[in-house]
Amino acid sequence: MRHLVKGATIAAAVSVTASMAVAEYPERPITMVIPYGPGGATDISARTISEPLTTAVDNPLVMVNRTGAGGATGSVSVQNANPDGYTMLFARVGSHTVNPAMKATLPYTLDDFRFVGVYEINPVACAVHPDSGYDSMEELVAEVNANPGTVSYSSSGVGSLLHLAGAMMLREFGVENPVESAIHIPLKGGGAAATAVLNGTATFICTNSSALASFVTNEQLKPLVVTTAEPVVGFDAPTSADLDMPQLQRLVGWTGIAGPDGLPDDIAATWGEWLAEATSDEEFVSKMEARGSVIRLMDPVESQEFIETQYEVFRELVDDLGMRIEG
Amino acid sequence: MSFIDSIMAGLALVANVESFLALAIGVTVGVIAGAIPGMSATMAVALTLPFTFSLAPITGILLLLGVYKGGIFAGSIPAILIKTPGTPASSATVLDGYPMAEKGQAGKALGMALYASCTADLISNMALIMFAGILASFALNFGPPEFFTLILFSLTIIAGVSGDSLLKGIFSAVLGLLFATVGLDLVYGTNRFNFNDPNLMGGLNFIAVLIGLFAIPEILNMVWNPASADGKTRSLGAKWVTFAEYKRCFRSIIRGSLIGVFLGSIPGIGAAPSAFLSYSEARRKSKNRENFGKGEIEGVAASEAGNNGVAGATLIPLLALGVPGDVITAIIIGAFMIHGLQPGPMMFIMNVDIIYGMFLGLIISSVLLLFVGSISIRAFRYVADIPRGVLFPAVMVLCVYGVYAVNNNIFDVGVMFAMGWLGYIMLRANIPAAPFLIAFILGPLLEDNFRQSMLMSGSSPWILARGPITWFFWTVTLITVVAIVRAGVKGHRDARRQRRAAAETRAG
Amino acid sequence: MLKSSHFTIGLASLALSAFLFLFAIPTWVTTPGNVSNVVLSPVFWPYALSGVLALVGAGLLIMGSREIVAAPDDAADAPAHGTEAWMRLGAMAVLMAVYAAAIPRLGMVWASMLAFAAAAFLMRTRHPLPALVSAVAVPLILYAFFAHVASVAVPQGDFVRLP
Repeated sequence: MRHLVKGATIAAAVSVTASMAVAEYPERPITMVIPYGPGGATDISARTISEPLTTAVDNPLVMVNRTGAGGATGSVSVQNANPDGYTMLFARVGSHTVNPAMKATLPYTLDDFRFVGVYEINPVACAVHPDSGYDSMEELVAEVNANPGTVSYSSSGVGSLLHLAGAMMLREFGVENPVESAIHIPLKGGGAAATAVLNGTATFICTNSSALASFVTNEQLKPLVVTTAEPVVGFDAPTSADLDMPQLQRLVGWTGIAGPDGLPDDIAATWGEWLAEATSDEEFVSKMEARGSVIRLMDPVESQEFIETQYEVFRELVDDLGMRIEG
Repeated sequence: MSFIDSIMAGLALVANVESFLALAIGVTVGVIAGAIPGMSATMAVALTLPFTFSLAPITGILLLLGVYKGGIFAGSIPAILIKTPGTPASSATVLDGYPMAEKGQAGKALGMALYASCTADLISNMALIMFAGILASFALNFGPPEFFTLILFSLTIIAGVSGDSLLKGIFSAVLGLLFATVGLDLVYGTNRFNFNDPNLMGGLNFIAVLIGLFAIPEILNMVWNPASADGKTRSLGAKWVTFAEYKRCFRSIIRGSLIGVFLGSIPGIGAAPSAFLSYSEARRKSKNRENFGKGEIEGVAASEAGNNGVAGATLIPLLALGVPGDVITAIIIGAFMIHGLQPGPMMFIMNVDIIYGMFLGLIISSVLLLFVGSISIRAFRYVADIPRGVLFPAVMVLCVYGVYAVNNNIFDVGVMFAMGWLGYIMLRANIPAAPFLIAFILGPLLEDNFRQSMLMSGSSPWILARGPITWFFWTVTLITVVAIVRAGVKGHRDARRQRRAAAETRAG
Repeated sequence: MLKSSHFTIGLASLALSAFLFLFAIPTWVTTPGNVSNVVLSPVFWPYALSGVLALVGAGLLIMGSREIVAAPDDAADAPAHGTEAWMRLGAMAVLMAVYAAAIPRLGMVWASMLAFAAAAFLMRTRHPLPALVSAVAVPLILYAFFAHVASVAVPQGDFVRLP
């Protein structure tokens, strides 16, 4: 009973005097919403960083998977949460740059969130089936231009990074209108998208290199290009630096942490410190790098800029190609 | 390396206390989680994953596999006792398991569920060990057109679970298909029946629909007529399943296991359709066909064999190709990768000891499941003795917690209650709920694969008959439909003749 | 009740189909402007289903109208239910709505305790004391399990927080 009374007093204190609570932040467990399902790239990344992060925060982090609509369901729940720092979101490239750039009816915009840090970058790679006969992006693009409507690419759904990446790569390599001349085949989830290239349903796929790593190692898929400037381990394919196409470097996946728009400055700053501590944990870095991620911490201001720049690039592309989803 | 060498290498990895302990703990955790509605095997595996990071690779993987196996079996416990499937895979078990519990045969039903599960599990593991290579390359031939025809065939299951009126069954199925269209459009990403509400954009939560449709109507029925429980004690009875009964159901168990192995080796189908297909095949072949749906032990055996037959076989595409067959195997892939192992053909060369260690561990897990399962049944069966005036409110609260926990979303609780009222109306109007559920599972697969096929072919329908696999499924679908229509017409005629005879007797 | 059930369901099925065709699909399913082929359109599948629904409805009507004569003595078997049963059902509907709405405000545990007690009362439980004890214990045990073992963020509400 004493606990209950104490709990009641604390709860009352939190709701009545928010400023006081901020001074002692955090004094109770923090809910961390993962807007994608268990086992996905975001989920594994989030659960891996939660270990060093819990040490840094010195308070439990409650990991909550809230799945649906390409990350929208979970994102909206954080958008509508109290901006007291007790409900935070694992934002991902799909939910926070591709989706807002493509979907006109999305119930949130980038302005509804305050980013406190991006901690992980994933290089994007494009790959084909080894028996397809394509050895480079140029050959693939030549086929698209010669016979429009015969080359297809798979994605994990409309408005996913894979969807946009396929169109963007074709465009960068010289296809005038990739939406018309290549076929987009949406599947349910990243695993199904990779399988589609394995069994010949689709011609190629562009996605995070980590999602393709095991297939590339097993020589079931052949990588054609990697978007980062540095080569990716195990991927025998030209990088954007090799091809002298620096504009490709904007096409990367990332994971970060965001709160609702009204998040106070000091809480955002606190998060920046926590993330700095967590990402310097050696075990965390080695685990993430084993899966093909690049650990790169951005402070709150840099994160905000990075995400907005990427959003602008994507939005321009979407407008140029008429890929926007209305209604 | 020879086969014997591989086995010895595997044995060296598994023959230690840690491996056995990991398997036993895994199975126990799985059984407990599976027995709680809303705590699916998927969630249990996801929650166990972080614990495996610090373990040796083989120990961690065995722990996860134990949870998986235990969870799939234990879903049958609440399905039989309180008509609430613990996991989607056990929804077919409700059809005959709950009526058996109503008749005071819960112990028998649970026992049969356990034996059928363990048998199917063993067969599935054997299939994995012997045919992984062949089945995996076969499964890779399944593109959208093949899937479409397979699912079309699977929809004929509806006839088997429609009860006495096929038309009502189809009506129920179409309702299920319509509810499954809520959400975002696959190809264009546009809104469909979701009123721009982010909670509806991801579609209706499957578990919420499932529990709403099966468990809540029972509660409402109790509210409608509290007296119905009077004088009806549902004691378990000392009756345990006999060997003669197991022998009688053996054919159905084997058939169900093979269906499970076949469907499990194809990525993306899952255990629930397999359980329903096994159930309807058993009904079609059984002498006791009339008794199905009214508490037939063979129905329980077939459903449980169908869903556990999938468990070992889903590892076939995982190990042989690196392709996850369902969400659970996707999580298990995560565990492989954390330890720097990359599932796929190369793993059979590079890490053959781990592969064979896993195989041996799987076989041990079937035996462990038998032990842990029978202990858990003895523990859980007291549920059947709780007075209903206490049990049913508890079931309601349990369902609310469980449904919330699936996606951490209170909206899903509302969905569950709303589906409960729909289910209750259907119950009162004698419309079977099982076709609704099957259609709700298969509907999106059918539509998505149809549209993906159309995208591939540039809208030419001929792609749907592009190869031998599609021809095979078109043929069996056609044969099944003809058989159903003939049986329906015959049944209708018989019923009319009987009615006329009855009327004449009355008149005379 | 049973004798006309095919007929009634048939009517409902036709009405639902008409509603979908005329109102629901055009209003609530968005069709983008750039649909290349009619079979790929988002409305294709819902329209196809509405068509099947209309066929099933027609079938049910025909069956229903043929068997009006059948099973005349079913009504006698049905137990008599008064308005009281309907009132209880209505009360249960209210209970469910209030329960779902109360979870975010009161918290899952407290709302569940109240709902448990109310539901047991509506079912006219013959074991009031065990029901009351369970009403307090079950939500607490479930909370302990889900929050601390399964680490689910169980809603806490605005008033009393549990550890």
